[in-house]
Amino acid sequence: MSVDQVNPNDESKYAASARAFRDNVSRDLANDELRSNFRGAMDYLVDKRKTALSDSDELETLREQCKLIKQRCLVKLPHLLEALEEKLTANGIKVHWAETITEANEIIAEIIESKNGKTVVKGKSMVSEETALNDHLESRDIECLESDMGEYIVQLAKEHPSHIIMPAIHQNKKQVADLFAKNIEGFEHTTDVDALIQQGRNVLRDKFCNADVGVSGVNFAVAETGTLCLVENEGNGRMCTTVPDLHIAITGIEKVVEHLSDVPPLLSLLTRSATGQAISTYFNMISHPRQQDEKDGPGEVHLVLLDNGRSQMYSDDELRQTLQCIRCGACMNHCPVYTRIGGHAYGTVYPGPIGKIVSPHMLGLEATTNLPTASSLCGACGEVCPVKIPIPKLLLRLRQESVKPKGAPQVMKGQGSGRKTSEAFIWSVWSMIHKQPLFYRTSMWFATRLRFLMPKKLGAWTVARSAPKLAPKTLHERIKEREQAAKGK
Amino acid sequence: MTSARNNILSKLKSQVKDADYSKLPAEQGFNYPQQSFSEQLEQFITHLENNHAQIIKLTRAEIGKVITQELAARNITSLLYGDNSQYTQDIEQSDSSITLNKYSFDFAQHKERLFNDTPAGVTGSRCAIAQTGSIVLWPTPDEPRTLSLVPPVHFVIVDAKTLYPSFGDLIEQQQWADKLPTNAVLVSGPSKTADIQQTLAYGAHGPKELIVLLLNS
Amino acid sequence: MSQVNTLHLRDYPKNPTKVYLYGTCLADSLFPDSGIDAIEFLERQGIEVIFPQGQSCCGQPAYNSGYTDEAKAVALEQIRHFPLDIPIVIISGSCGGMMRHHYKDLLKDEPGIEKFCDRIFEFTEFLVNSLNVQLNDSGPAERVALHTSCAARREMGVHITGKKLIEQLDNVELVTHDYESECCGFGGTFSVKHGDISNVMVSDKTKNLVNADVVRYVSADWGCMMNINGSLEHQKESLRGEHIASYLLARNAMDNTGDKS
Repeated sequence: MSVDQVNPNDESKYAASARAFRDNVSRDLANDELRSNFRGAMDYLVDKRKTALSDSDELETLREQCKLIKQRCLVKLPHLLEALEEKLTANGIKVHWAETITEANEIIAEIIESKNGKTVVKGKSMVSEETALNDHLESRDIECLESDMGEYIVQLAKEHPSHIIMPAIHQNKKQVADLFAKNIEGFEHTTDVDALIQQGRNVLRDKFCNADVGVSGVNFAVAETGTLCLVENEGNGRMCTTVPDLHIAITGIEKVVEHLSDVPPLLSLLTRSATGQAISTYFNMISHPRQQDEKDGPGEVHLVLLDNGRSQMYSDDELRQTLQCIRCGACMNHCPVYTRIGGHAYGTVYPGPIGKIVSPHMLGLEATTNLPTASSLCGACGEVCPVKIPIPKLLLRLRQESVKPKGAPQVMKGQGSGRKTSEAFIWSVWSMIHKQPLFYRTSMWFATRLRFLMPKKLGAWTVARSAPKLAPKTLHERIKEREQAAKGK
Repeated sequence: MTSARNNILSKLKSQVKDADYSKLPAEQGFNYPQQSFSEQLEQFITHLENNHAQIIKLTRAEIGKVITQELAARNITSLLYGDNSQYTQDIEQSDSSITLNKYSFDFAQHKERLFNDTPAGVTGSRCAIAQTGSIVLWPTPDEPRTLSLVPPVHFVIVDAKTLYPSFGDLIEQQQWADKLPTNAVLVSGPSKTADIQQTLAYGAHGPKELIVLLLNS
Repeated sequence: MSQVNTLHLRDYPKNPTKVYLYGTCLADSLFPDSGIDAIEFLERQGIEVIFPQGQSCCGQPAYNSGYTDEAKAVALEQIRHFPLDIPIVIISGSCGGMMRHHYKDLLKDEPGIEKFCDRIFEFTEFLVNSLNVQLNDSGPAERVALHTSCAARREMGVHITGKKLIEQLDNVELVTHDYESECCGFGGTFSVKHGDISNVMVSDKTKNLVNADVVRYVSADWGCMMNINGSLEHQKESLRGEHIASYLLARNAMDNTGDKS
């Protein structure tokens, strides 16, 4: 391949849509149907979680345990990855490594082409969304069909998932019915969800039966046993990993756990935090390709391990906590911002609070500069996180990185890109006033005396609020007067 | 892509070269209250029923009869089952009105048949988990993976004697870490989805019905 | 072993006689009444209140905007003005969270910072857990709502203590409004940088408060109240929020039966 043929832009397509965050927000805030779809869905998920985790002693013990499990696995990460590779290889599963999304897509395309694969069925995999695998395979004339019902809907609509667990949460049943009517031959119009699912099932069963390749994600990769674990409810994950003769799994390097015994507590909090289920319908554990005498299962199984910014997160003790994430989605379900703007406004693969702390490493802080600031730091996300990622704190940290002056030590791609001279100036003046008590009191004295000059319009604030009114005298002054009056008595 | 491998690993290793594993904090799990066997069994059944599985308590001698009845109630006349498995002979006691098909063929050669012409399948199970209402499938050459996955109705025979309190207990007591099969699956109900407007629908891709034949003697 | 809400589990000083008051910058220039009322209330409980004139702002605005050095300079100046080893009572939950929790990070190299942070008490938690105040309600019967600010709720546990105080008022019916625990959309510079998102959040919050059919709502955080009251005024709604210090003082008027045993 000549240099000219290489995509000059190794940047994910999501960088552009993340840059458009503000426009996306305006667009989606104006869509009442969308907002009501999200509010309804989030209320439902919040309620489900609450019921499933009603014992706060159990919850807090498990959160602490799961946090420590993930932190241990992260401290040991390079060694666990090597152990995982060794064990998987011994089990007959081939392991591949990719630093970038382009590399990952290339690896997968080459595996498929080497087996003359033409059709792929995909189980739900956010990492494959991260690499935009479907686009890449299509450009190589390989058909790639999403098989998770939500992902299937999103693919038909030519959209991206708006939620990491429930990809089509932004659509209601009427919208899905209209979409099916346009896309499924012989569709019998209905808004009955059972009937909609049955028609989707019929289309997809045919695809499972005939696909050459199954692509899936991984929820936990167990180093000790060389096992790929998948959590799902629909059975499409089992289909993709069982029916076609070639199975390719793709996952981020942070998904490795040390022991098989690490899995039960993580699994328990994952499903309960995500959808309030005690466990998912299926927990699928794959340790080998088809072995001798076995009558089914893929003859070849591959695992692609993707970095894509994860080693950057790893390189800072505080930011490393980002990698504890087990992708339950509870942070977005509880996020007042996500609930308002929905998943697409973020423009990134991973929306919501976790998306705000993951995406800057994947796409750079320059493209994602608006994400860490788009939070009221209310703390709801950190409160529910099953592995206790201090999301608000990491948002603060990314804000710091975003406005860091030039010449600071390199921590992440795009650091300092959010620094504006005007804003930096305001804060330095603010600091100068507030760190000198006399200067501060004098300024406030003048401010309160000149309060008639205060404008009635204060930018974004007064679009929906009245401007606050300065008091005639400051608290400092009134207390001083009060003290003097007391002395005079 | 060995360079990718080396780059990733060396970046990671450079960050933790001084890590002292002995200093890692102790991890403490939650101590669940001990439950009697009957409480565990009740928990197991409640979870499964809440997840829309059908539970039928029976003796081993009744397996053939109950399968016959359940199939008849669904107007199903054929059943796919495993060769040489623990319950093969019990399954074969079903009524002659049911056509019994043994899974004695290679899947790849009979995909269409499995997808389009196999209304029901039956498998045994390795064990079960009370805390989550899960059944552990441990497919073998005799009872292949697709037997419990592709047919729309899945009968699964569970012996209550194999019930464990939790997944963690099970892994530890059966020493799973030493050897896992090609595929092991925890099943906790029929296939389902809530992907359309948070409305639960059963039979998304896997079996629409999970019928648990629970041996409890 | 229970690990519930460990963030705000702490020891409280028993029988304090003297405290500092941290007034916060918002109360200083915009809402000084609440500072005076807090002092008055504490004094009626027999507590001597010291208000160091050197205080300005906890530094949160710059800190939350990523300007750490600028925040640090201001934060360092604050701790200088509270030398005595007595509790520092603060009349805003989010500023309390900043000084009690975030100072530990921001000023981690400063000797004795942990001890300073451990002296920070939000007004309502101090009344309930340290003073064990007993309120005698002298006001008319009315329905009120409580807005628990997010930082206060999650970092300081103030939703519990605020509720406990209001529940002591015999003639007051505390009404839970829809989505009570949800953020009002303030978030400091967030409300300006992402005004459109913030506006939607505060519109929902005010709608839920108005629908609760209360005569007022009470809060211990002026940031949230400036936001919510500003939105209510903009919408020409008559409902307003009142700082809990002012409210308690008014309801408990002239009645000094605080139990300081």
